[in-house]
Amino acid sequence: MSTKKLTTLALYATLSLAIYAVESAIPPLVPIPGIKLGLANIVTLILLQHYSGKDASFVLFARILLSTLLFGQLLSLFYSLAGGFFSLLTMLLFNRLLQKRWVFLTGAAGGLAHNIGQLLVAFLLTATPGVLAYLPFLVLSGILTGLFTGLVASFSGRYLQRFRIR
Amino acid sequence: MHKTLQPKIIAVMTGAILLLLCVISLLCILLPRRHASGYVADIYQEGKLLTSIPLVDVETPYSFTVTGVSGCKNEIEVRPGSIGILSADCPDKLCVHQGFISDSRLPVTCLPNRLVIQLRPAEQELPNSSAIDIITY
Repeated sequence: MSTKKLTTLALYATLSLAIYAVESAIPPLVPIPGIKLGLANIVTLILLQHYSGKDASFVLFARILLSTLLFGQLLSLFYSLAGGFFSLLTMLLFNRLLQKRWVFLTGAAGGLAHNIGQLLVAFLLTATPGVLAYLPFLVLSGILTGLFTGLVASFSGRYLQRFRIR
Repeated sequence: MHKTLQPKIIAVMTGAILLLLCVISLLCILLPRRHASGYVADIYQEGKLLTSIPLVDVETPYSFTVTGVSGCKNEIEVRPGSIGILSADCPDKLCVHQGFISDSRLPVTCLPNRLVIQLRPAEQELPNSSAIDIITY
């Protein structure tokens, strides 16, 4: 990995960590665990589109580790890792299938996969079938927030290209 | 032609499936499921059933504290027909903000303390997988 690439990826990791920090300062809108905007996903989507899946996983992993160290507890690491990598794999697949177009669809699929991954971990940790009652809420919020982050990623990705930041 | 058409079909299909999932979840959320005979509150910790409280029998509100294995505490209040968490020592207090529930649509969950309060219609049997069925024919 060249120094330029390393610096750029570190910059993206810092950016997504900052977005994550700002987002966690927003009080939860709905009193259902797991529902949030997932704004840090914008960075993952941009990386997937303009860099590579490997770069996106590097940055995602760094962001999850750092955010757990800085803000979270150990338990939230499992949720973040499960959701993060479930959605990353899904977005990799859709990004390839859709040939990097319709980023909002990739984002929506990723958001959905993120919430389903987290719900699976919650199901395994609490071992209560009752948590599956959250499924419709999490499916809906995952798709809607993913659509939003996908749109943001496709618009901001264009600007990044125009200013040749990449 | 074929090369440009294929991702378009996938895009349309993905969009349709996602839309369908949205509609199904909306239906699941909005369909009312009220049970006239009242509810029983099952309180689970780490997947184990702690107690079951028939909410119909509750006449005066009372509260009690559930302590987890790692020393975490949730103060639960039982009211006639509803149940909720009054205070907790978890960091985000999402369980407290979920308020009081009076139907079986959503459980109250405290993920850090692995506590789940689920309401079940009184006429419905406890969904038991671990316990042995005592009735044999």
